[in-house]
Amino acid sequence: MRRLPPRVIIVSVLLIIALGLLILNLSGFLQPVQDLVARPIISVQTWFALRFSALRDVLTSPRDMATLRGEVNRLEAENALLQQEIISLREQAAEADVLAALLNYARSQPQSRYLATNVIGRDVSPFIRSILIGGGSDAGISKGMPVVTSRGLVGRVVEVFATYSRVQLITDPENAVNVKFQESRTEGVLTAQLNGELVVDLIDLNAELSQGELVLTSGLGGKYPADIPVGRILSIHHRDYDLFQQATIQSSVEFDQLDIVLVITNFRPLIFEQPNP
Amino acid sequence: MAYILGIPLVILLAIFQSTLLGTFQFLEGRPDLVLLAVIGWGLAGGSEEAMVWGLVGGVALDMLSGVPIGTTSIILILIAMLVSLYEDRIWEANFLTPLGITLVGSLIFHIMSLGVIILMGREIDWSYMFSRVILPSTFINLLLAIPSAQVFKVLRNRLYPPEVEI
Repeated sequence: MRRLPPRVIIVSVLLIIALGLLILNLSGFLQPVQDLVARPIISVQTWFALRFSALRDVLTSPRDMATLRGEVNRLEAENALLQQEIISLREQAAEADVLAALLNYARSQPQSRYLATNVIGRDVSPFIRSILIGGGSDAGISKGMPVVTSRGLVGRVVEVFATYSRVQLITDPENAVNVKFQESRTEGVLTAQLNGELVVDLIDLNAELSQGELVLTSGLGGKYPADIPVGRILSIHHRDYDLFQQATIQSSVEFDQLDIVLVITNFRPLIFEQPNP
Repeated sequence: MAYILGIPLVILLAIFQSTLLGTFQFLEGRPDLVLLAVIGWGLAGGSEEAMVWGLVGGVALDMLSGVPIGTTSIILILIAMLVSLYEDRIWEANFLTPLGITLVGSLIFHIMSLGVIILMGREIDWSYMFSRVILPSTFINLLLAIPSAQVFKVLRNRLYPPEVEI
């Protein structure tokens, strides 16, 4: 019998190992090992991410502007918080009549609790739009928790490990968000197109939308809390022969510039089982 | 020695790919450092070590991604095997070989990665992915192909100096 060349044996062994890892991963048995192996990798990654973020700030702004930039950042953050407060107040005013009873209930509920965490990386696959954050189950993060910044909705946690988590961005086509329009009070479903464009579909054909109108999460479906800003209307696609109209949205979050995000830790999403095909 | 040096190296490259290069994009394409390392080391004459680098680098990449662990390893091992077919043959004679192998390797890498994404049940717009992700990434990889092949060739010569007949 002819002997196999050593290179073929090596390839076969390595492919079997890789296939074994794949099967273990798909069956969920790899998670404890992954948690263990990820610890040093994530420590190194966090170290790099923090230094890279600082380096990028230094390189992208002149040295003598650093103080001013810090001040602008602080004011921008303050402005964003005030904007959110205004949005929240407008929302309350518009819905006061209908939701008076519910509002009392809402007030009796504890405020959202946030956990600030660093963005330590982006998905290495260019086909998946997600980020890695430096907090996992050790920090109290669990699957389904919404992730925001002071500007608006970022996405939700889809994978949790001991020291890090993966957040699916709202720009990922797999993510769908139930939204409402602040002025026209109509609702729709926001999904990302394959090119990353955000489009709200299933909007009532009779709804009168306006360009620049604010889009907020509606809270329907229990995946996200209500009233988180998502973006503003960029363009409206209204055709009389369609069943619904659509709107293209400009997100309020700059996804390329994410350094720190907030995870809403006291929101429990409703998880629906996927129907069997 | 190639394993002691190579395994931490590919893990570091995977981290760089996720941390530093996530923001440096041409359209939506990014350089694939682990792929370049596997091709570079394979071309320098270490194709068997490059296969192990592919296994470890693939696991590291999958840990920093939403794809199941093991899939990128399989792709990188197959690419390392492909490189091994050319090892020590054309490279010495043809300076442009890294370009050809990187071109083929990048296309295989991305098309197979896209295949995995489709198997995961995600919708894909092939023409968009080709024009905005695969071709730009391949272009960036081609720009880095010759320097990376040179670096790994020098590194291999340092680690394993060629025998000289006197």
